[in-house]
Amino acid sequence: MKISYNWLKELIEFDVSVDKIADLLTLSGSEIEAIEKKGLDISGVVAGKILTVDSHPQADRLTVCTVDVGNEKLTAICGAPNAKPGLIVFFAKVGAVLANGTKLKKAKIRGVESFGMILAEDELGISDDHTGIIELDGGIAPGTPIEQILTLVDYIFELEITPNRPDCLSHIGIAREVKALLGGKINYPDFNVIEAGPETSSDLAIEIENSDGCPRYTGRLISSVKIKQSPLWLKARLYYLGIRPLNNVVDITNYVLLETGQPLHAFDYKFFKTKKVVVKNAVKGEKFTTLDGEDRELNDSHLLITDGENAVALAGIMGGLNSEVTDNTTDILLESAYFDPATIRRGAKTVGLSTESSQRFERGADRLMAPKANNRACGLIAKLAGGEIHRGIIDCYPKKFSPAKIDFRPERVEIILGVNIDKAKICRIFDGLDIEYKNGSPMQITQPSFRPDLTREIDLIEEITRIYGIDNIPERFQPGGALGVEINPESLIKDSLRNLLVGGGFVETCSLTLIDGRQLKKIDENASLVELQNPLSEEMSVLRPNLTISMLKTLKHNINYGNKDIKLFEISVVYKPSSGELSDEKEAICLGLCGREQPVSWRNKEKYTDFYSLKAELEAIFDYFKIELEIKPQNNPYFDDDCSFIIVALDGQNMGMLGKVSNRAGKQVGIKQDCFIAEFDFEKFAQLAAKPKYFKSLPKYPASDRDIALIVGQGIRAIDIINMIQSVNNNLVENVYPFDVYEGKNIPEGKKSIAFRIIYRSAKQTLTDDEVDEVHKKVVLKLNEEFGAELRS
Amino acid sequence: MDDLLIQIKHFEEFALSKLGSVVNKNDLDALKIEFLGRKGKLTELSKYIGKASTEMRPKIGGEINRLKKLIQEKIDTKTAALAESIKKDVLDYTLPVRRDFTGHKHPLLQTIDDIVSIFHGMGFEVASGPDVETEYYTFDALNTPEDHPSRDLSDTFYIKKGVCLRTHTSPVQIRTMEKQKPPVRIIAPGRCYRSDTPDPSHSPVFYQCEGLYVDKGVTFADLKGTITAFAQAMFGKNVKVRFRPHFFPFTEPSVEYDFSCVICGGKGCRVCKHNGWLEISGAGMVDPEVFKAVSYDSEKYTGFAWGMGIDRLAMLRYRIDDVRLLYENDVRFIRQF
Repeated sequence: MKISYNWLKELIEFDVSVDKIADLLTLSGSEIEAIEKKGLDISGVVAGKILTVDSHPQADRLTVCTVDVGNEKLTAICGAPNAKPGLIVFFAKVGAVLANGTKLKKAKIRGVESFGMILAEDELGISDDHTGIIELDGGIAPGTPIEQILTLVDYIFELEITPNRPDCLSHIGIAREVKALLGGKINYPDFNVIEAGPETSSDLAIEIENSDGCPRYTGRLISSVKIKQSPLWLKARLYYLGIRPLNNVVDITNYVLLETGQPLHAFDYKFFKTKKVVVKNAVKGEKFTTLDGEDRELNDSHLLITDGENAVALAGIMGGLNSEVTDNTTDILLESAYFDPATIRRGAKTVGLSTESSQRFERGADRLMAPKANNRACGLIAKLAGGEIHRGIIDCYPKKFSPAKIDFRPERVEIILGVNIDKAKICRIFDGLDIEYKNGSPMQITQPSFRPDLTREIDLIEEITRIYGIDNIPERFQPGGALGVEINPESLIKDSLRNLLVGGGFVETCSLTLIDGRQLKKIDENASLVELQNPLSEEMSVLRPNLTISMLKTLKHNINYGNKDIKLFEISVVYKPSSGELSDEKEAICLGLCGREQPVSWRNKEKYTDFYSLKAELEAIFDYFKIELEIKPQNNPYFDDDCSFIIVALDGQNMGMLGKVSNRAGKQVGIKQDCFIAEFDFEKFAQLAAKPKYFKSLPKYPASDRDIALIVGQGIRAIDIINMIQSVNNNLVENVYPFDVYEGKNIPEGKKSIAFRIIYRSAKQTLTDDEVDEVHKKVVLKLNEEFGAELRS
Repeated sequence: MDDLLIQIKHFEEFALSKLGSVVNKNDLDALKIEFLGRKGKLTELSKYIGKASTEMRPKIGGEINRLKKLIQEKIDTKTAALAESIKKDVLDYTLPVRRDFTGHKHPLLQTIDDIVSIFHGMGFEVASGPDVETEYYTFDALNTPEDHPSRDLSDTFYIKKGVCLRTHTSPVQIRTMEKQKPPVRIIAPGRCYRSDTPDPSHSPVFYQCEGLYVDKGVTFADLKGTITAFAQAMFGKNVKVRFRPHFFPFTEPSVEYDFSCVICGGKGCRVCKHNGWLEISGAGMVDPEVFKAVSYDSEKYTGFAWGMGIDRLAMLRYRIDDVRLLYENDVRFIRQF
């Protein structure tokens, strides 16, 4: 919404600067987003009288004019078709500055010297019209400075008005805000009208078929108007406020709209053969051509203004092309109505239009303003376009405004705001906002017709907050001691896990939860997905069913940018369709590795990530939280068949997966490099990690280790050997771990060598070498029996 | 007598190349005698000065002196270098060691961590709710009219009739109040979704943090105090907070709040569009209609709620100029924080 500072000053006197009033309005809820200065630069322009107009010797379209500018006569070259002797014009002398900032210089145009310029409207910035020079009133004396003829300087405020405040979509509405803030009174325009013509009722009847859609419709007739251009001040004012001037009648309806907030429409009445207005709903599929020349298809909830036979306007939204006011119009029907907000909102939306008029109706216009604005506009039309206003207004008003009656308890103000505001101050605020009240306990408040948003006590408290000033409410801060804060154990585990991973060199990612459904289906055709009905694009059409797909995209992005050695992790939500109302949302954690295991450095042996790199990370995580890690082979479309595993929880439940990214998945996403990914259920993990940890006594006696290198078949798994070694004597074998694995030269085909270190320790005594040897011998024997393991010499 | 100058030049080249390739102390000592000794080459060359024409003498003398100095310098540096080369067990503490990658937390999640710890300190608990949410919790219970534009297909993603991706974290207010009686003091950071085409300031998926405080005696003054305390904890004691009346269906009175620009300190810069204030988000006293939806007695309890865009806070904090960077996960980006 644009507001003219000059206009505001005409409506209410106040004595604060432009910037200050902007601040006050912003801090009371009408946010000023920008202030545009108009006409400030223009200087050196005076009225001039054209004395002679001669054709230019070198150019057909130009003329050479001599102009009397008061104290001298100057020659100027002019290209306007309407230049003629005797015309009073605006003349910019050499040195003058125009609206676009150009400074006039003496110029030679095709060999003829020009000492200034006769101005068109666009050169003054009061419209975009450049079809001819401005013709001023004949009575103006040459030499009169422009400042005495037309107010050019103005400040235009661009306001953001919230949808609950239709009253602020007008200059009177903003003037009322100023009144509430600074006091004073509003100089309302003249809402009375001098009627001259015949009785309106003999030429106009109004019928409303849908009174819910149209609770009030007022109409007036004016005959013998003369359509022409509006006076300069009116054109300038509209143009500054972003509305293109058209002709006097249309300009006046726009002017009164900006003044009062009441949308008006002027019809060419000759189109109304039936001499009546019928407001009714459209028929589904009905076609109607609006003023902008567009054919609109309507439905049965659209409200139409008709003459009983033909539609003439899409009610509250836009007039029809058929009944438009043109240069030949002489008889006018002026509509000023109140349409139902929901009807207009729906209607405007379905035809895809948002107009000055629809924006006001859909937020809620003022039922009581309708006839007043009609009078105001008719008065201006009679003044600026001539014509006779017929006697009487036709006011069809089937649904009266019934204001909300609100009980208001002043003591509630302090309960809500935390500051005591005395009753006298509250009353002053109500007075300022034109809110009527009756004193008493509680106070009785009557909702103003222009404030659809005020229906409850709390709404009135908001008014008090705004006008009293939020800056005047103290800041209070009650420190948190009063309530104990419970921190969810899962979030503590998550924090530890994130710290652990970051400490281990992982970069944390945060990816979009919306992914490309089609792409995912190409990797995993069985995936069941939560799909959006109205996605922005295929790339963001479903909620991700796992983090692996996001990780693949992240890996790809980084590899593409040349970052090929990376360790990434993400803890976030994954989504599955559920039988319930919503979807099944679970937090998961995902690790992604590719490239070198460590940064290139003189100290590191260059080694590329493989399955064991990933497993090592998992082991570290699970060990930190004291959770047993068990993995088992199981195929899955994301991973290579020979490197695809599931993670099995202690209770046997499948809690995740890991493996080497399959060619199929890599190809879909665009990854050529070997990548390794693990993903598991974070909630399950957190449950397992949340198990309390209790202290165990530290060993009292020393340990003794023995190394053993075995040659076994390649099919024998390390875990089985370890379990076997442990089972020989659970009390003495404290720990077993492999420290060397070898296949190849010197090892028979189909065999591998694994060397284990076995830590023997007793909780009861220091073990002697003999005692250790005895158990160790048993171990060797058992391994040979069970796995055919030979000792490697 | 040009011959002599040429001889000197040749000798210079010869000497420098010899010195360049010497690798042990003995050879270097030998060269020193050969070049600079009493019977050395330079002494020999000096003898010819006398034979030169008077006008050439200073020039030749100068050349020989220059060369003497140059050779001496080269011998000195070489002597020092050879001495270094035979030292043992010298620790080069300047040698960069990159043993492992350095991990980094994502800047957006670091911001959430800090928001959470600030509000923990103020006695707020963390609550959460689903991304896939009913229209009831997203709009109806929050007093949002049936035909409110925020419900449009062009604004909100729908999964099926009555179920959408939450457009704000406010549903968590309702879910929390349904489960628990006052006092309620929560924050709810989480993902939200709006049908915005990605650009430098919009992402269809983004993070918001909701806050809610309901109890007997909670007032607008507490709202101001809490948000100001947060602003100063997050961005420093000098940050000011400005509240402007606004409109939201679920709060009354409603405000928008701005922080004084954390980049320029409020003097005006590109980030604050030269007006010194950064629009952060909305807040207000919980509307009685919302209390009605969760069966709280609005005569007995009052409360305030607010929202804030975590993406925006993270961007301000780290001076990130494109929200899409937050979700692209370029390691070069994340490793900066």
